[in-house]
Amino acid sequence: MRVLLIVLANVAAHAQPVVAPTPQTAGSPRGDNAGAYNITNSWEVGYRFRDVDGNNGKYRSDVNFGNGVRLLGGTLGVTSRDGKGKWMDELLLDVRGLGNDPYQFSSFRVQKNALYRYDLLWRSNEYFNPALPIAGGDHFLSTNRQMQDHDLTLLPQSKLKFRVGYSRNTQGGPGLWTGQWFDGRGDEYSYFANIRRNQDEYRLGGDLQIGRLKLSISRGWELFKDDTNFNRDTLTPGANTTDRNTLSFLRRDEPLHGKTPYWRAHLLAELSKQFTIHGRFTHSDGQRDFIYDEFARGTDRLGAGRNRQTLLTGAGRRPVTTGHATLTWIPNAKVTVTNQTGYHQTRMEGDGKYSEINNGSAGIAIAQFQFLGIRNVSNTSEASWQPVKQAGVFGSYHYAERRIRSNEQEDFEIPRGTVPIEQINRNKAGIFGARLNPVAPLRILFSAEVGRNDRPFYPTSDKNYEAYTARASWRQKKFDLSTDFKSFNNANSTSLYVHSSTGRTWGATTGFTPRANVRIDAGYNYLHLDTLTGLAYFADFELVESNRSYYVSNLHTLHAGVQAQVRKNVDLYAGFVRTQDRGDGRSAAPGTQSIFTAAQVFPVSYASPLARVSFQVRANLRANFGWQYYDYAEKFARAQNYAAHTGYVSLSYSF
Amino acid sequence: MGLRLLATAGVISCWTLGAQTPAANDSPFAGSNGCRPCHPAQALQFFRNPHFKTTVAKGATPENMGCEACHGAGKKHIAAGGGRATIPNAFSLMQPNQVLDACLRCHSKDVNRANIRRSSHTQANVVCTSCHSIHRSDSAKSLLAAKQADVCYGCHSDVRAQFSQPFKHRVNEGFMTCSDCHNPHGANSGVSKTGHRPRMVETGLQNEQPCMKCHTDKRGPFLFEHAAVRVDGCESCHSPHGSTNARLLKRPVVFTVCLECHNGSGSFGRQADGIPTQSASHNMADPRYRNCTTCHVRVHGSNADRRFLR
Repeated sequence: MRVLLIVLANVAAHAQPVVAPTPQTAGSPRGDNAGAYNITNSWEVGYRFRDVDGNNGKYRSDVNFGNGVRLLGGTLGVTSRDGKGKWMDELLLDVRGLGNDPYQFSSFRVQKNALYRYDLLWRSNEYFNPALPIAGGDHFLSTNRQMQDHDLTLLPQSKLKFRVGYSRNTQGGPGLWTGQWFDGRGDEYSYFANIRRNQDEYRLGGDLQIGRLKLSISRGWELFKDDTNFNRDTLTPGANTTDRNTLSFLRRDEPLHGKTPYWRAHLLAELSKQFTIHGRFTHSDGQRDFIYDEFARGTDRLGAGRNRQTLLTGAGRRPVTTGHATLTWIPNAKVTVTNQTGYHQTRMEGDGKYSEINNGSAGIAIAQFQFLGIRNVSNTSEASWQPVKQAGVFGSYHYAERRIRSNEQEDFEIPRGTVPIEQINRNKAGIFGARLNPVAPLRILFSAEVGRNDRPFYPTSDKNYEAYTARASWRQKKFDLSTDFKSFNNANSTSLYVHSSTGRTWGATTGFTPRANVRIDAGYNYLHLDTLTGLAYFADFELVESNRSYYVSNLHTLHAGVQAQVRKNVDLYAGFVRTQDRGDGRSAAPGTQSIFTAAQVFPVSYASPLARVSFQVRANLRANFGWQYYDYAEKFARAQNYAAHTGYVSLSYSF
Repeated sequence: MGLRLLATAGVISCWTLGAQTPAANDSPFAGSNGCRPCHPAQALQFFRNPHFKTTVAKGATPENMGCEACHGAGKKHIAAGGGRATIPNAFSLMQPNQVLDACLRCHSKDVNRANIRRSSHTQANVVCTSCHSIHRSDSAKSLLAAKQADVCYGCHSDVRAQFSQPFKHRVNEGFMTCSDCHNPHGANSGVSKTGHRPRMVETGLQNEQPCMKCHTDKRGPFLFEHAAVRVDGCESCHSPHGSTNARLLKRPVVFTVCLECHNGSGSFGRQADGIPTQSASHNMADPRYRNCTTCHVRVHGSNADRRFLR
């Protein structure tokens, strides 16, 4: 058992997570018996600390752990030993980060065999975006998002079962928005946003099995509300401090309420061991009703006093219908053939009435309408053949036809609008692959996909693309090594412009267990991406069409970790992750005028070593300490760089 | 060692593996209690296993109960005194498609596994026991061999590298899991994008991309949709796994993301006459104009302005 537990802990250390909670739990994994139940539990309470040197906003954007006491982690399992508990047979609770961590979750399950099963998942995320200068146009946000999902299944093991569910997703907090007043050549201002959004989803469903026929039906209702309001009542300058534009007052309410009722049905017919049919049908109606009410006061770019009131009402609608039919034929143990036909139709349309009053006199009134319809029909045939145990091949052919219809209308005094457009894109793609298993520990996979779109939707869409993947892994109890390679090339060209994209990744990871109580993991990955795209933009009122957008990223990632158990009661872990984008190797940023003519690169390094010690003080008590360091460094500009020490001390206790 | 095993077997003989229906003498099934003496580690912890409920299911037949539900009839194996060759379903010896058949005998009714036969995982011989560990699981609910992200990173090291970037969805922090967006058992093809790619992506409420499951304000519908979002999806502009950009954009700065499409070329776009270029009032020589989303704040869709200005 000890060996087993060590192996599991080592697997958990394979991907270096944040330093806390401690993976090792207090108490016996076998638990304690209490009546007809067996109970396992472990609770880790500790103090998390941080010390940030540099740009705290960027640290909060990337990491965001703070100081304070936390319930870093906790598990509780109550299981009936004979599967015949009176009210329940299993209760599972898993919590993490409760207290004030930026990432908190709790999952809970209680079930009584054959009678009911209830699942709860609750999550909370503190999101912080400091409006980083590298991503010009970002907006400051400090919001909390909470999500909860409740699912109750009645008669979960019977041939007729019922499902009831509820989900809630809320987002709230302050933000800083931006906008432009009073016309298209005006100035840009920031204003306060009090974000209040929530979504509720109610669902009902049932599953029925009759012989080889399995039917599942769900009915749901999603309700969404966005009651964010905006205001600005202090006089602050706009982005351009040299013009005469001012915005002295702004009030905006734009409530957006809507619902999305939906149906989902699935049918699985296992006609025989060789032949299966699966059908899926969904339909949803989405609607959002909106009001936009804004009052703005200030001066325009000529210095004249302006006040403008805007009122907009309307609705957006999006019904979506999909259907899939999948046929599976397994003539013998070596061959599997499938065919799937898919249908997906989306209609998006909306209308609105826009009216504007300027300086107390009637301005413009516009009736707006927009339609976008996407219908996609696809068919995919796939076959897999395993002639011998050591080797197999697979292949598929995919055909899809997507029709897009578009219409936009805006009616002023003189009606104007666009002509309805219809365009059809056909995609043809083929995949071939082979898998080899020449000796038990060694697995090799190769696959290639070649695809063609005859009418991609935008210049950087996939058009003529090829994707290659190769993997090889050697896995034994004490040693494993895996390597992988991926390549993706896409060329999308027209007569005037060219977009090409090349991405290549390769990596190797290894794990070694020299002794039962020591595990070493290491890995390296290289991700390369370069894209070249034609541009057209204005500079000093002249249209520039000769430039290209050339982006280069060469990302190297290295990780290593060692885990050891010393004298049965001390667990040690030390790990290191370093990510570095070397760009194209240059050492200085290009001048602002050559922003498009030189390759765009963003050389940056991000390193995070960590160390953790966990002592088993008693059978049901552990003391834990950990430290993790974050070092973020941009090469061209240093304003966002930071270095942060984070860590924790904690006790894990099992009752 | 032998004594320890005997002693352990003696201890757990007090435990029951459930109310076993006695098998008829001519039945090849022995019942799960017959497995305990030689497999004490599995038997001792089996009451925690979700499959344990098969041993107490009313009216269940021997082939659907306990150990033999997965491993097949065990009487011959017991009579032979053990040995993997005498177990009908010895998973370590089975071919991947045989593993799949064995598990799907019960688990095919779950609709999220409807595409498992045609999934990329199955094609690559990644089947149930590649990710799930029935007797040595780290997860009581789904019987995964390790934490979900670790299971996935085990093969997808490039994704692990993407999640090592400064800004990413919080998978390593435990707030999210890979299956929030992906269905490792296979997804339907041809939802809104035309091609195969990306594969294994689960759909959201309105059969749109899974991003909308959390980012509810981006779902719409809007009076003015940003067509690229609806036609080719969020990854037209975003790298969902990780990025150097705090909004997970595909480029470090926003204006190159926009301008690479808004160049007026060819027959692209919803009106099939090229995606509109910026107007002449934009002066890209001035850094102020490179912050596109400062003015075009409703870039995912707007109800008030077709240019997403508010």
